[in-house]
Amino acid sequence: SEMSKDLLPGPYPRTPEERAAAAKKYNMRVEDYEPYPDDGFGYGDYPKLPNKSLHERDPWYQWDQPDLRHNWGQPMHWDFDMYVRNRVDTSPTPVPWHTMRNHFLAFLGTMLIMFVLGEFYPSYRPVGPKQYPFNDLYLERGGDPNKEPPVVTHYEI
Amino acid sequence: MAAGPPPTAAQAYRPNRYVSLPAELDPDTYDTSPEKRRAEAERLAIRARLKRQYQLQLNNPKPPPVIEDPALLRWTYARTHNIYPTFRPTPKTSFLGAVYALGPLIFWAALFKIDRDRREKHIQEGKYVRPFSVF
Repeated sequence: SEMSKDLLPGPYPRTPEERAAAAKKYNMRVEDYEPYPDDGFGYGDYPKLPNKSLHERDPWYQWDQPDLRHNWGQPMHWDFDMYVRNRVDTSPTPVPWHTMRNHFLAFLGTMLIMFVLGEFYPSYRPVGPKQYPFNDLYLERGGDPNKEPPVVTHYEI
Repeated sequence: MAAGPPPTAAQAYRPNRYVSLPAELDPDTYDTSPEKRRAEAERLAIRARLKRQYQLQLNNPKPPPVIEDPALLRWTYARTHNIYPTFRPTPKTSFLGAVYALGPLIFWAALFKIDRDRREKHIQEGKYVRPFSVF
């Protein structure tokens, strides 16, 4: 792009002057500006903004870009495309997250254990072999119509 | 050992990477100190300056064809062009690179090799049942 080198992101700021310059470059207060830790991951001097999704930004404020809830010149989160309103939502839940996770895992665990138990110890009503009418379907199975079919009784009295 | 004071609502909520603390439980919302007010005023000043620059460009009688957002340009530059110059091989990055780049290759290669060897052994012994599938 046509921006000069001092307006584009650069390496990790080491001196306080570099930090102040970087904060000014990103349109942030010097106290608010916090770069990612210098672990060699490739972040450079990009600011580390709070990991909050766009769902949490005020829906009633007059943003310059209302669909992205973003103002012109406002520093964008590194994972901005993840926190977009179609994707990850970090807004606070009515029930704490650890409670929801525990309830969900308890339910899922119980269902899985019961299904596995059912594989090893199946339970169903008693069944017997299927009984066919007409002397065990003598004529349908190709028996001779002139001969007497063998009598088949499936009951005992 | 005594139980200690009961956890505050904010501590009981335990915000983490997936949910953030609601504003009602955050003690920051109820902080009305002058330092916070001054910080908010400075942020508002920055925001107003940026809004003014944007509105001037937007309502210009002869507006530019595209109003470029420097924040967006910086974001794309940081995520694409600024990674290689600022990358540094450290123990952590080397380990993660090995795990994510070499791990899957070695894993799948080993898995396929073991599976093929087992199938070959079964075929030689005559125990292999060829699967029948219409698809």
